[in-house]
Amino acid sequence: MAAHFDTEYQRLEASYSDSPPGEENLLVHIPDGNKSPWHHIENLDLFFQRVYNLHQKNGFTCMLLGEVFELVQLLFVVGFTVFLANCVDYDILFANKFVNHTDSSKVTLPDAFLPVDVCGASIRDNVAVMFVLMISGVFWLHRLIKFIYNVCCYWEIRSFYTNALKMSMAELPYFTWQEVQARIVEIQKEHQICIHKKELTELDIYHRILRFKNYMVAMVNKSLLPVRFRPPLLGESVFYTRGLKYNFELIFFWGPGSLFESEWSLKPQYKRGGNRLELADKLASRILWIGIANLLLCPVVLVWQILYAFFSYTEVIKREPGSLGARCWSLYGRCYLRHFNELDHELMSRLSKGYKASSRYMNCFLSPLLTVVAKNVAFFAGSLLAVLIALTIYDEDVLAVEHVLSSITLLGVCITVCRSFIPDKHLVYCPEQLLRLILAHIHYMPDHWQGNAHRYETRDQFSQLFQYKAVFILEELTSPLVTPFILIFSLRRKSLEIIDFFRNFTVEVVGVGDTCSFAQMDIRQHGHPAWMSEGKTEASIYQQAEDGKTELSLMHFAITNPQWQPPTETTHFISQLKERVQRETTGDRQTLTSLSGSEPRSLIANFLAGPPSLASLHLGRDGSLTDHGPVGVNDGASALRSLSVSSTRGSCSSAHRSAGHASFASRAMPGSSTDARTASSGSSVWEGQLTSLVLSEYASTEMSIHALYIHELHKQQSGGELSRHTWHRQDSDDSSDSVTEEGGSGGGNPNPRNLIPRSHTFPISTPISTPGPIPSSNSGPNPDRGPTPGQEVTPLQSNSQRRYGGNTDSVGPGGRVVRSERVPMGGWAEQGRGGRHPDTVPEEGSEDDMPPNTHKVT
Amino acid sequence: MNCRSEVLEVSVEGRQVDEAMLALLHTILLHRSTGKFHYKKEGTYSIGTVGTQDIDCDYIDFSFVRVSSDELDRVIRKAVGEFKDAMGNGTDGMGQISLEFYQKKKSRWPFSDECIPWEVWSIKVNVVNLANEQERQICREKVGEKLGEKVINIVEVINQHEYLPKMPTQSEVDNVFDTSLKDVQPYLYKITFQITDTLGTSVSTTMRRLIKDTLAL
Repeated sequence: MAAHFDTEYQRLEASYSDSPPGEENLLVHIPDGNKSPWHHIENLDLFFQRVYNLHQKNGFTCMLLGEVFELVQLLFVVGFTVFLANCVDYDILFANKFVNHTDSSKVTLPDAFLPVDVCGASIRDNVAVMFVLMISGVFWLHRLIKFIYNVCCYWEIRSFYTNALKMSMAELPYFTWQEVQARIVEIQKEHQICIHKKELTELDIYHRILRFKNYMVAMVNKSLLPVRFRPPLLGESVFYTRGLKYNFELIFFWGPGSLFESEWSLKPQYKRGGNRLELADKLASRILWIGIANLLLCPVVLVWQILYAFFSYTEVIKREPGSLGARCWSLYGRCYLRHFNELDHELMSRLSKGYKASSRYMNCFLSPLLTVVAKNVAFFAGSLLAVLIALTIYDEDVLAVEHVLSSITLLGVCITVCRSFIPDKHLVYCPEQLLRLILAHIHYMPDHWQGNAHRYETRDQFSQLFQYKAVFILEELTSPLVTPFILIFSLRRKSLEIIDFFRNFTVEVVGVGDTCSFAQMDIRQHGHPAWMSEGKTEASIYQQAEDGKTELSLMHFAITNPQWQPPTETTHFISQLKERVQRETTGDRQTLTSLSGSEPRSLIANFLAGPPSLASLHLGRDGSLTDHGPVGVNDGASALRSLSVSSTRGSCSSAHRSAGHASFASRAMPGSSTDARTASSGSSVWEGQLTSLVLSEYASTEMSIHALYIHELHKQQSGGELSRHTWHRQDSDDSSDSVTEEGGSGGGNPNPRNLIPRSHTFPISTPISTPGPIPSSNSGPNPDRGPTPGQEVTPLQSNSQRRYGGNTDSVGPGGRVVRSERVPMGGWAEQGRGGRHPDTVPEEGSEDDMPPNTHKVT
Repeated sequence: MNCRSEVLEVSVEGRQVDEAMLALLHTILLHRSTGKFHYKKEGTYSIGTVGTQDIDCDYIDFSFVRVSSDELDRVIRKAVGEFKDAMGNGTDGMGQISLEFYQKKKSRWPFSDECIPWEVWSIKVNVVNLANEQERQICREKVGEKLGEKVINIVEVINQHEYLPKMPTQSEVDNVFDTSLKDVQPYLYKITFQITDTLGTSVSTTMRRLIKDTLAL
């Protein structure tokens, strides 16, 4: 029996031999472990920012070195200043006092130094010096701690690059950001950096990196920030310095008690309209306190600014004195010209491309009076200099005479300065063309500049964007003094508008957090009917981004990130626009040649001739174009790529050909270009960096074409009259953010009441409120601008209809579809309806009938 | 930001607070707990069993399922008790209790370990005062129904296949799971509460952020 049992048992075990015995008779799991430390990163904003920074700073070592040198520099600046002030016996240097040397009569540098103990004593006795030393000591320590902290953080990013993205630090400078980004999108699939979504999009990354910058751009766009002033004597000017910017960011984004509770979310109470007045009060008092703090810290900051400016610029000025006369893009300009979702390097490359044209444009405006004076001063200084130099050549002892060397130097500087006021003899005065060329790169421009490029007002306004380096430095130096007052007196008054702005223009995007709704680049929400999105936009005047910023930003983003999949409506807009641009640019190749070349004339000629001629050109070619039209509809990104390739190719090839050849080339293009596209922007992320660089070149050219086209169309749609009625332009200058449009037809209706506000761009606040024509020109961008709606809506519609008719007439029926599919009345009616509560500050109405604007966007 | 957040709102009578909270917290934890892991040599592990238990509420027409772990129950009850004490008894009030699941990330020496939340459940409680017995009776049923809905909400959310921390190896198990309990192993969690949503965050968090921000500049 027992034996039987025994055998049974044996047999059983044999048959189940593959299952483990005992309590192991359970499911066995294999842990996946945390092989990568990159899943689920807590602060993605900071993370992406760091990834971007590290890329921009060309890798870890470069960054480390840079920071170390900065620290050393700081020590040096302070130490050297103190040394110069206290430890040098200037009497010896200037040879007012003689040194008793036993062996030789030469004065050496060490002779001029005071002994250490004397020097130390004098430093200790001097309270001011001790104060400066202490301040800078604290500052330096802060920087040191920050540095150490940064090193730790960036070390992590470095390993992210090497381990997760598989890019070594050595080759990082040779990757474009788009490539890095594509890698990040790729690894999200395996590492799940962001836990909300399976896949990251390019827009998500941009949103996170540029979250606050987008807000700033939007605020500048809606003229919310007090950066325009009208001080006596100086006229209308813009004051926006780094110090001011820092303070704005401190107040809004990250300072104690700021509107944001973390990097990614606005405090909930600011999303509700309920107690906006209370919140505005709170904000106002915060601004006051920060202003006062600024005032108290002012001496410290001032000293620092002066020291810093002295040491960073003196060397440059000595080396090339002309650099002070050179220009740079002002901080305001950078904000005004920036697209939504545009990274620093994209902006900078764009602006740098426009630099040459811009400075040439500015040079057109040398004052003739100054030129005459400068010529003569230069003559006299030159003759003196010539004599001195001749004498020196004859006998160099002349140099030993007191002040001869210094006067030679001074005269040299003087001549250089004068020369910068004397225009180049061979300079051709063609501001309109230059401005067009500038526009191709900077993409934004107020309407009234067009056709008025030769006017001094235009130049002055442009100089607000493109200022003298010297002015820039001066502004930075005065910034500590002015900033507190701007905060206390100017910004504080806007607190309610700021609160409203943040409430109205914040959307919560799943996986990204609270972002500026403008940055969504949604035509429907923020499009401007005068900028291509007529009929598509449902935005009220308050919600429209000025200057066609939404539309241009959208194009820019789509072009720079061809892999991006926009929502369907947006895709439609993009492809439609692209199709039209494509039609017109293939119709005329010269445009492109002039863009890539430096000769603006042909470009201008084309655009001055205007789309009608282009239209007639392309009409005959319609057949050939239709076959790649659908490509654009189906896949915006790819069509875009193909266009950019083809267009630039076309430009290269047609540069040497006649127009007839060019058209042939353009017809041959689509095939070859698609090849190029599939080869380059296919699924593989591994591409030669050359290709992607080339692509980015194409992209920028293409964006230029689009920008020009959009502006041209905008001008046609709405601004055509502006250049003709110059009196009118004056008015439109004055209205801060709404331009009046001539209401009655042609002069048949002189009634100024019919002037309607068209939302307008370059907000110029003149204190002289316009008499008459403009319903109410509130200086500043405040949302409760404007016209009483009832009064405006009717003329609006009739007027737009009239213009529509006029437009089609001029173009010819069917020649060019200026408006897309809907009758413009729809768009205007929308706008009129939006104007129902034009003072969008919803006292009690708006927040009730529409929920707080922070709806979820998935 | 990099964490899901779910908000549940209930309004209950004063004496129902703890049962309602327990019901919701336990329901969430039921789905966020596993059996104990037993690691083997070859880097594999097996998972122990988890029992469940039906709990009937006294003041609400409702019963819920919870992990049959008395230890876990004790911890939750303690937290809920504190919450209730802080709310004060019988008065109207608003409060929020949040259950946060996090994972730890080891940092290098100068920094302490980071706790990175991946899912936060916030339960907003609105305490109402009832006048008479009849209203109480109605409330009893209504809250029961409401809780039922919430439980279904929770299950729906959990059924979406969203991010969960990956299963850890033996050395890392403490970074993902709370291993202090004998019979069950929930994901690391933290229960915090807040009475009436006050304006602004506390001073300490502001200071911490300030320092961090200045450093990060």
